[in-house]
Amino acid sequence: MPPFKDDQIIVIAPGSETTLAQLGLPESFTPARVRIRSRMFPAEKEGEFEPYKIRRKQDKPAEKSVEQNGEAQGETKPATDGDDEIIWEEDRVSEEGAVWPIQDGKITDWPCFFALISHVYNALNPPFHTAILLITQPSWTPREHEKLAQFFFEKFKTPAFGLMDAALATTWAYGVHTATIVDVGKGKTDVTAVSEFIPHLQGRIVSLPDSGGEAFTEALHDKLKSKGFNRDMCEQLKKSPICEILPDGTPLPGSGKAEEDPVTNPAAAASTGATGSGPAAAAAIGNTPRGPGPDTEVGEEDGPENEGVLDVASIVAGGKMNEYLAKKEKEKQDKSNAKKKGAPVPEANRPVRLPNSKREKATFLYEDHALLDALKNTNLDTQGMADAKAALDEGPSKRAQEGENGDGAEANGSGEATSAASKGAIRREMEVGTERFLAGSNGTMEKIADAIHRVISAVDEVNKRSELWDSLIICGNGSRLRGFKEALLQTLNSKYLISPSSATIFTSEIPSNLSTPAGTGANTPQPQLGPHGGSGVNPLLFAATTAQSQGMMPHGGNPLMPSMSHNAHSSHGQTPTSIKTVKPPEYFPEWKDVGFDESAFLGAQVAAKVIFVVDQGQSKGYMTRPDYNDQGPQGIHDYSL
Amino acid sequence: MNIPNSSTAPAAGEYAGDEVSAIVLDPGYSTTRAGFAGEDVPKSVCPSFYGQSDNDSYLFGENAIHSPVGNLNIKNYWGADGIVEDWDAATKLWEYSITSRLTGAKAGDPTKNGLNDPPANGESMDVEMEGVENNEKPMEDSPLLMTEPGWNSAKAREKYIEMAMEDWGVPAFFLQKTGVLAAFASGKASGIIIDVGASHTSVTPVLDGMVLRKGVQKSPLAGNFVSQQIRQTFKTATPEIPLTPHYLVKSKTQVDAGAPANAIYKTFPVEPSASFRANEEERVLTEFKESVVEVWPGPGRFNNGTNEEIAKNAPGRPFEMPDGWNNIFGSERFRVAEGLFDASAALTSEANARPKDEWTIPRLVQAAVSHVDADQRPLLLANIVVTGGSTLLHKFNDRLNFEINAIYPSTRNKLIAPGSVVERKYAAWIGGSILASLGSFHQLWISKKEYEEHGASIVEKRCR
Repeated sequence: MPPFKDDQIIVIAPGSETTLAQLGLPESFTPARVRIRSRMFPAEKEGEFEPYKIRRKQDKPAEKSVEQNGEAQGETKPATDGDDEIIWEEDRVSEEGAVWPIQDGKITDWPCFFALISHVYNALNPPFHTAILLITQPSWTPREHEKLAQFFFEKFKTPAFGLMDAALATTWAYGVHTATIVDVGKGKTDVTAVSEFIPHLQGRIVSLPDSGGEAFTEALHDKLKSKGFNRDMCEQLKKSPICEILPDGTPLPGSGKAEEDPVTNPAAAASTGATGSGPAAAAAIGNTPRGPGPDTEVGEEDGPENEGVLDVASIVAGGKMNEYLAKKEKEKQDKSNAKKKGAPVPEANRPVRLPNSKREKATFLYEDHALLDALKNTNLDTQGMADAKAALDEGPSKRAQEGENGDGAEANGSGEATSAASKGAIRREMEVGTERFLAGSNGTMEKIADAIHRVISAVDEVNKRSELWDSLIICGNGSRLRGFKEALLQTLNSKYLISPSSATIFTSEIPSNLSTPAGTGANTPQPQLGPHGGSGVNPLLFAATTAQSQGMMPHGGNPLMPSMSHNAHSSHGQTPTSIKTVKPPEYFPEWKDVGFDESAFLGAQVAAKVIFVVDQGQSKGYMTRPDYNDQGPQGIHDYSL
Repeated sequence: MNIPNSSTAPAAGEYAGDEVSAIVLDPGYSTTRAGFAGEDVPKSVCPSFYGQSDNDSYLFGENAIHSPVGNLNIKNYWGADGIVEDWDAATKLWEYSITSRLTGAKAGDPTKNGLNDPPANGESMDVEMEGVENNEKPMEDSPLLMTEPGWNSAKAREKYIEMAMEDWGVPAFFLQKTGVLAAFASGKASGIIIDVGASHTSVTPVLDGMVLRKGVQKSPLAGNFVSQQIRQTFKTATPEIPLTPHYLVKSKTQVDAGAPANAIYKTFPVEPSASFRANEEERVLTEFKESVVEVWPGPGRFNNGTNEEIAKNAPGRPFEMPDGWNNIFGSERFRVAEGLFDASAALTSEANARPKDEWTIPRLVQAAVSHVDADQRPLLLANIVVTGGSTLLHKFNDRLNFEINAIYPSTRNKLIAPGSVVERKYAAWIGGSILASLGSFHQLWISKKEYEEHGASIVEKRCR
């Protein structure tokens, strides 16, 4: 078999919400070029699936043209930037009836899943001699791996196929051998302890229910239901930069501040909890899979919205659009006038713009898909449609004002506005109060924190545990929520961190690492730099006791090694004595811009490069077609990474 | 595709012919281990505790039993005598441990999971997927090897095979005692297997791969006994040491050693049940055992002479509770495990009477060895296999070595204790994995046909 080249490799990472894929490994690894929402639509014939909703075309020329227009767009897009979502997101109804074959990481509908994979494969349109690396979710069982191997070999006749665990892939991306991977997905969280590149399967928490991004939406919905927010609005609110989880103990912005800034500033609130901040994270927003959730209700906006705007969709559908538009126009004028006048006033009050966490209220742009659908169902020609859209869409006008304010959001803002416009979505400004800080209010944080504690406690090698606590990796698109990572770390710290015991600080005991037996781990040396380890103790006493015990240390009694000298005081066998996250790698510029939430995909690219190109199958990182013919699907277990 | 029927013996010389992808199931009191034969660790380790809510539905798995919801009772299917008591729950839990992490399928509602949809053989799905056909039984394509405790009753054994054949539809089945398998895991065909688990300690003499049934000894002095001793230590301490599990604590702050905890506690609309709390407390106790408890290594018993004094003067070990309470434990940390070896040293209370002398590990070994012919004893004593999670207590082996040498000073006694924690904890499973992947093992299976011919009683004849 000829060796594989960089451009003959497919990496596919299926997820509950989005499936990532890419053909070929670029010189510098990039985020996935193809992002496809993980859903298919049942076709006419039962058991077959279509990537797009086949909608019955009505004989309205206007709609038809729009549809076709969009469709053409959608069709050409995948080839260029792979973002074929655009057309179908604008069409709210088209999400209806979709089958999502992956639920909470588990494959629940195999025929549909296979259809999805076929669609992804065809979208990539690879040449014949192309190896495939598939990222597996932790909840997939060995038998399911066999099923996948069988499918890939027999359907695509692939010359080589490999599986890689998502958690393991994440460690490859970060370039660490030992880490605790917290993968916050759509409806679930997986927590895996990876030690020396081996995922610890026994104590792994697979698919912790109600702990993903959906849980946050649900929490927001709970709080905002009474204010007339529907699920879709909450979903979009969650993805907007104003939604945030505040560190525990931070008071919610109180009623004391009367004046608040009516204009959302996407730049100010740029980072969606991504690792970076500033422009890098701002770009991440644009890259977030935008759009509606899977089981969002449509057409149920019967609650009044807080700006006094009624259910626009029903107005339009009810044929009263013209009156409404007139009213709306007036409102808009008033508002912009008011804003123009009012703008300097708050500016004077507060020279520095308040951060999101201090503001009592904030607004975000809501892309009203229901409204668009309602529009489509009215008899309008293309021009009328466009006019109506323009009238209803608050997005661009808002942006113009932002431009006037000159708050530096241009680059990002314009990108969003145009993309929204091209999608045809109608955007409305919505205001929310402090509820936007309560996404984590239903105990999700503690649930995940407890899972992490259980996973690490289940690791048999007790001496590995402290290293695992010191190398947390929080990833997954569910963790994009602003403030989530910080809040999770804080929860962990306040619940599980073991402080150095005051009872042992002054005793000149034998350093604990002398008597550590491998098997029992009754006592583990912890490199620890806890808040009290160095600072809380009289430095003189500290120096005296550490000096005393240094002679007894088998190795490294070197005063220049701070971790070792701290060690002398810690006789805790318990973990964690410190909790840290792993710093994302710096040498992937493209990933730095979007954040490392999908780092499993990056790791898969690294791994694909290693196992397919560098290693050429030496270490059995993948299964070849002759291997498959010899051993059948069960052989895949010998080749999985 | 052509996969030979997994229950037929492989042709001679057939490549990888002995790989039948058998499943090995090793249920224990604390965890249930399951995995594919031929692998070195069980892929699925799920707690043997399960949750049962008021409406009688079972909840299995790690995630379910640790989420603090009201009306959830945490139970275990094992009876006090070390034999499965609640068969309904056991069957379901074992099935869960296999399907959730090994085979998949059968999960979810059959009307929705796509498995029952008419075969989709259109253009988009021209691959014939054998597994996609309607699976009535969860394990129709995997032979099953199960482990059982050495003292299992004949009735229970028949129940095992019935369950496997009728409920799960396995094509072939075999039952083997944990003792033998643990010996296999250490590469021994003969030896004495000391297995200190969660609920029971057992000592099994094995000769040439056969258990000497009358020699099998068991006692309830095991991991749970140590937990109970720790609880009692906490209770009788002055002031009493509060045992607060993690789920009750919202956040803790550092306090001085021995000072009362200063934590913010959580409140629940419906207080989780007492059994839930006990199970969560066990997590703290496990941590305590891992980081504080130590077995007095000898020489001599803990009560003897100045040993207790020595222990008192040795540096203690600190422990911090989930609510932030912390202190240093000196001689208590030896005391709690001493009962395993010396019944007179066990902490007692009204509820927990003094354990019988013949329950201690040295006496169990003595009793087991006494059932063996005198000329076989040196062979067995040279192969003492130590297994079970509770043998991971610090210095356990030192003490055991001391005790055994004290009883049998004239023989060459050798402890075989795998250094790796995984091998120690899952020894019986690993032995089963070795056994079930041997080509010659195909002669041992009880096939479905044989079961149908002879009924459940065949297990008595074939699985000795």
